[in-house]
Amino acid sequence: MTDDTTNTDDEPRTDGGGTGIVAPDDETPTWRERKERTEGLSRLTYEYFERARSEDESLRRESDYVERDVLAFPTWPHETVRNLALTSFFVGMIIFLSATLPPHIGNPANPNSTPAIILPDWYLYWSFGLLKLGPLNPELAILGGQKLMADRTYGVLTNGVVVGAIAIVPFINKGSARRPVEQPFWAAVGMFGVTLAFTLSMLSVKNLMPMNVDLLFDLTFLVPPIVAAITYAVLKTMREGYMYDLNRRYYRLRPPK
Amino acid sequence: MSLEKKDEYDHKNWLESKDLTPVEATFLTALIWVDKRLRIVDYLELLESLYYRSNLQMPKSHTEQYDLDNKFWYWYALYTLGFFSTLAYVVAAISGALLGFYYVPAVGSAGPGEASIAYSQIAFIMRDLQFGFMLRSIHRWSAQVMTAAVFLHMLRVYFTGAYKEPRELNWLLGIVLISLTMVFGYSGYLLPWDQLAFWAGQIGVEMSLSIPLIGEWVAQLLFGGFSLSQATLQRMYILHVFLLPFVVTALIALHIGIVWVQGIAEPH
Ligand code: HEM
Repeated sequence: MTDDTTNTDDEPRTDGGGTGIVAPDDETPTWRERKERTEGLSRLTYEYFERARSEDESLRRESDYVERDVLAFPTWPHETVRNLALTSFFVGMIIFLSATLPPHIGNPANPNSTPAIILPDWYLYWSFGLLKLGPLNPELAILGGQKLMADRTYGVLTNGVVVGAIAIVPFINKGSARRPVEQPFWAAVGMFGVTLAFTLSMLSVKNLMPMNVDLLFDLTFLVPPIVAAITYAVLKTMREGYMYDLNRRYYRLRPPK
Repeated sequence: MSLEKKDEYDHKNWLESKDLTPVEATFLTALIWVDKRLRIVDYLELLESLYYRSNLQMPKSHTEQYDLDNKFWYWYALYTLGFFSTLAYVVAAISGALLGFYYVPAVGSAGPGEASIAYSQIAFIMRDLQFGFMLRSIHRWSAQVMTAAVFLHMLRVYFTGAYKEPRELNWLLGIVLISLTMVFGYSGYLLPWDQLAFWAGQIGVEMSLSIPLIGEWVAQLLFGGFSLSQATLQRMYILHVFLLPFVVTALIALHIGIVWVQGIAEPH
């Protein structure tokens, strides 16, 4: 850091120079200092600490170990009030929902009468939709057109595929790009995933959808690539201008050599 | 002159010389008593140092350094979704603990289509218990909101590229968390033991059974058999109110701890 600041002194740096790490301006408060800042029981505590640990204390004073003093927004009231405000807003939202849309309870369980509509909670619809992919289960000619596994097994295994696909993302896509415009491809992959989760959910409630089931099935797999393609096209188009803007700002601060 | 060895740190003498009020004397005596046995001072010192270090001045963030704020402000609201998930989880935990005072995970002698004990208890909570209807509603909605918030949080992490090196671990941990959140919701869904619960359970058993190789074990372990019974309800109950709360709470703490250590990913 020292090197950095000395040999770049002549260059114009609107960011203040260096890595932005501010040099320490205060040492760790010693037990004595901490003691002197307090009163009452905590002061007594420190007085005792000082006595009981004077050895540690002298070692500490001899060493050149440095800690920086607190320098930030005050926890009270700044951070606390903001957090309390956010918290009460969110909890208020939950209570408002609960008061306006309370849940009801259906008929008692009856193993002898299968209801017309069986559904889990909405957040499992996508997984439920995967169970209805029977038509995509490959048939093997060798087995005489028999399916390799039961449709249900196939559906359950696809769940694993989805989770696996999500899990490997950080191991494939590395680097420092953060914003979707910087990597239109990955943004498109993301939109593909979101849309697929949505269309699969629609598929899982197919008997409630006012639509031909075959059409719904086709749309389930047609819509996500289309959305992905649109995302890619839009971001790719935006990218040049956006990156230009960003780079200009960046190069103004760090002119290329 | 006494032959007794004089302690260099003769705290007792020190105490007497200090002219303390009774409160102070009691406090110090207790402190010294505990410290002599458990060395709590070391731990307090550790905590204090942690406190001072965690308040180190942070390096200027990328956004600050290049004055990029105006490019990102519209993402910032989404960065609160993780906190919102945690909050909804806490609300669900509190309302769930209260519901737990009244709910009983038992089918009893109810035949098909008759109200089981579990079902009657829910009916009791909703009809007779003061504030019970609202309580159940709050529990339901906080669970729904938590799941939605977790899902949206995951999307924000994805679309802001926050999952990248070095945050892969937290991404994987997040996948475990969202899965457990769904299992949480599913096991809770079965507890009222109404038609919806029963048939969702039925599908669950069938799905477990169709897992290759280990399907039957999974069904036995999670549902207590190959068809739904008292055992299913009881297992779901233990999952929902005992196992998952511990595991998920610990994992959320770890997840947020890792965020604390690594810092929030800056937009670049
Ligand atoms: C119970 C569910 C979850 C809770 C309570 C939770 C909580 C949090 C919190 C409070 C943060 C701090 C930043 C923020 O609020 O955005 C965070 C960050 C993060 N979460 Fe989660 N999260 C959960 C689920 C997930 C899931 C499902 C994923 C992804 C698969 C995930 C991946 C991450 C990552 C990678 C970060 C670091 C982001 C950054 O540094 O900007 N989390 N989480």
